Amino acid sequence: MGIISIENLDRLYWLGRYSERVYTSARLFATSFDRMIDMNLDDYAQFCALLDIPNIYRSREEFCGRYIVDEQDPNSIYSNLMRAYDNAVELRNEIGSEPITYIQLSVYDMKKSKLLSAPIVGLQKVIDNILAFWGIVDDMIESENVRNIIKTGKRIERLDLYGRLQVDRTSIAREVHRLAGRIQRTNLHYDREKIEELNRLVEEDEIDYDRIVELADGVRTD
Amino acid sequence: MSMLRFHYHMEIAFSEPVWDHVYTLKCLPKTSEHQEILECSYTISPANKIQEGMDSFGNRMLYGTAEERQSLFLVDVTGRAKMREGDSGYGNEDISLYRYHTSLTRPEERILELLADCRERTAQIPKARVYDRACVYMGIVRESLAYQKGITTINTTAEEALALRGGVCQDYAQLLIALCREDKIPARYVVGMLKGEGESHAWTEVYDNGRWVGLDPTNNVVVEQSHIKISHGRDYRDCSINRGVFRGQADQRQRIRVEVAEEAVRIL
Amino acid sequence: MQELKLTKQAETVNELLARYGVKFGIYKNNTFQEQLFPFDTIPRVIGKADFAYLERGLKQRVTALNCFIKDIYGEKKIIRDRVVPEEFVYISSGFLAPCDGVVPPKGIYAHIAGIDLVQGKDGEWYVLEDNLRVPSGASYPMIARELCRRSSPETFEANHVEDNRDYTRLLRRTMDHANTGGHTVILTPGRYNAAYFEHSYLAEKTGAHLVTGNELMVENDYLYFVDYSGKKEKVGVIYRRISDEYLDPMTFREESMIGIPHIFDVYRKGHVALINAPGNGVADDKGIYYFVPKMIRYYLDEEPVLQNAPTYLPFYEEDMKYVLAHFDDLVLKDVAEAGGYGVVFANKMTAQEKEDFIALLKKEPRRFIAQEVIDFMDIDILEGGVRTPRKADLRAFVLMADEPLVWKSGLTRFSRNPDSFIVNSSQGGGFKDTWVLSQ
Repeated sequence: MGIISIENLDRLYWLGRYSERVYTSARLFATSFDRMIDMNLDDYAQFCALLDIPNIYRSREEFCGRYIVDEQDPNSIYSNLMRAYDNAVELRNEIGSEPITYIQLSVYDMKKSKLLSAPIVGLQKVIDNILAFWGIVDDMIESENVRNIIKTGKRIERLDLYGRLQVDRTSIAREVHRLAGRIQRTNLHYDREKIEELNRLVEEDEIDYDRIVELADGVRTD
Repeated sequence: MSMLRFHYHMEIAFSEPVWDHVYTLKCLPKTSEHQEILECSYTISPANKIQEGMDSFGNRMLYGTAEERQSLFLVDVTGRAKMREGDSGYGNEDISLYRYHTSLTRPEERILELLADCRERTAQIPKARVYDRACVYMGIVRESLAYQKGITTINTTAEEALALRGGVCQDYAQLLIALCREDKIPARYVVGMLKGEGESHAWTEVYDNGRWVGLDPTNNVVVEQSHIKISHGRDYRDCSINRGVFRGQADQRQRIRVEVAEEAVRIL
Repeated sequence: MQELKLTKQAETVNELLARYGVKFGIYKNNTFQEQLFPFDTIPRVIGKADFAYLERGLKQRVTALNCFIKDIYGEKKIIRDRVVPEEFVYISSGFLAPCDGVVPPKGIYAHIAGIDLVQGKDGEWYVLEDNLRVPSGASYPMIARELCRRSSPETFEANHVEDNRDYTRLLRRTMDHANTGGHTVILTPGRYNAAYFEHSYLAEKTGAHLVTGNELMVENDYLYFVDYSGKKEKVGVIYRRISDEYLDPMTFREESMIGIPHIFDVYRKGHVALINAPGNGVADDKGIYYFVPKMIRYYLDEEPVLQNAPTYLPFYEEDMKYVLAHFDDLVLKDVAEAGGYGVVFANKMTAQEKEDFIALLKKEPRRFIAQEVIDFMDIDILEGGVRTPRKADLRAFVLMADEPLVWKSGLTRFSRNPDSFIVNSSQGGGFKDTWVLSQ
């Protein structure tokens, strides 16, 4: 439709970020969960430290339950999903009813997984729906600008998470390049120098992950 | 006939700077049979694009938005008015609008009791016209309230003011309106300027025999040539001189200064 | 009627409704919750001829109501001619003095009217209420139809039903007709409004911008939509879903945070159209309702096609006598209340309540209307797979573009409580699709 208000611009961006946060943290959780089954009972403490969230959990069981589905826990996957939902619901006008259904479905799946003995199985459905959401964003949303803003949010979030997780050079370099390519195609205000610095950082011998996280969060300037 | 020069000054001081200050002002007098506005000019600061309009009561409005940061909002209106005898309405008005109570004038027990007194007194006047009755009510309002600042607010109803037995010009005017309306006399609220120096003033107009006549219950006088009317409405709320919203966290303090002086009229 | 294949798909349809987030918001213990609006697959079916009759009556009624509002904020002939007593107008909370003398673009006041009807057991239709401010509900049967067609295409092959999804076209035509030149926007109070789904759905379908108050601004007597870069786009028509008193803090409630300062002044100067016009409440007041048949005769010189439910105004002495004599048979309505509140059935009152109510009625006769209790025709719903009769009403939508348009469908609401006559969604009712047969 051409014109987007500042409120909706923000919502698109945060819809991108929160959908990514749900997706990556759910996948990451699945990996850690597997390790926790037979060893490393305290792996969740490390998990929390990595993602920079307070470790408020008293046991592995509590962590597995609350981190996924506790709506009271502001850092739970559920809470992040609800933030994505809150943004999506106000964007029917910009992105259309069809894409929103996938976020809506992830919310239902998340609620259902609460009742399962292995919530991680329910989590898979959430991941499936987020992937479907991204697919339909690409396929159905006509406005390139709208698509690019959502994707920029997603790229920034992923870079932020990968930086915290200190992933290998290839992976993080790839995310930096994807972000650099995407953000210039939006009309978001951003800091070119920070993008250049990110490009340099991933080439250095010793990668400064903390700086990457800082830059990812500061790259958007409006 | 007399010629009056007027100067209306309003300032709003904000405790902290505010911005995007959107305002509507009803502060410009309008010509009627009773007052001819010969000159009238205004300045508003901070200066910005200002629109003129008219509300559904026939009052003149100024409105606009001051986007820049400001701590002091100033409005000055100056002009000359030729005062005469005659209708203080604007002609072709909907009289029925002023027959019915608003939440500020709706009478309860005390006002109804007072009205019974009023009727007793007017019953003694042979062939009392609306005007005669309203003048008696004005006297009774004046007796019933003691002028006292600070005991009432802009939201005080006529009934509440009567219970407090005091108030300011707004309360006097609304109590008189309540009595008149309850007695089937169309009555309305008026904001204006009074000869001399002071704040803005409020009084009442009643509809008698095809014309609006001003009665000033605070001073217990019939409005003649020392009251310049600015606006009228069903009650105080229709006549707010200033309405505004702004961005920023600030307390506001409003000050109004009115000067009205007679001009020597050269008699030809 | 034979059992529809559609009713076997009840679960599928409701799952789809959930998928599309067809919900309404509700406040429970001060927290906002979204609830699914329960849908029953058995439609209300209205035959072609029956609907043609309703259509004639609805057009007539809404045309007369528009004449009335125009008159009240203009010449006031109907008052001068003593058809409507002036106190009913001036004391009505819906009468807004600031609207006096303001003529909206194209002279239309009620662009979108929701007329609530019931069908009596005798088959006769009665109008229960006119909603001329912000009537809601059209989006629900629209999307339900879409999903029913998807779930049971055979049903729609076998039955010839007018496609109600063209509400979008009617609405767009109405907005375009009113437009003074500029963008079309739908103004919502926001996400936490009960009907937010509808606001966003209608915006999506009509291609209008969905906005909240802080995305709009007034400058130099025009209304603008401000985009992220600060660019201002002129707005020519605003379908506002916020009530009059919150519309403009400079004219109405000063504390309103969801309105747009000075929008009323822009409207007064004819620079933007407001759908619906402010001040319409004067015509959908429960007290004014009594006079609608008289308005039809007065303005159109026609006999009303549709009837009111038999109504008494205790304001008139004669009616007061009747009301007191037949008190137990009547339903009493407080004219100031809406949404199913302020409605009491005399036969459900205790002796004390009755006494108190009659005292209040005598003290404030203008405040109430009394109506005969209509024995509605029940409509079946499926409960646990079994057909069970329930009370249901019909909200028909009439749109005023260059001519009156009646939507060939409507929102049928039913009460879930078998004893209740109150079908409002805010009180826990469900809804049905309304089929108008095309053959």
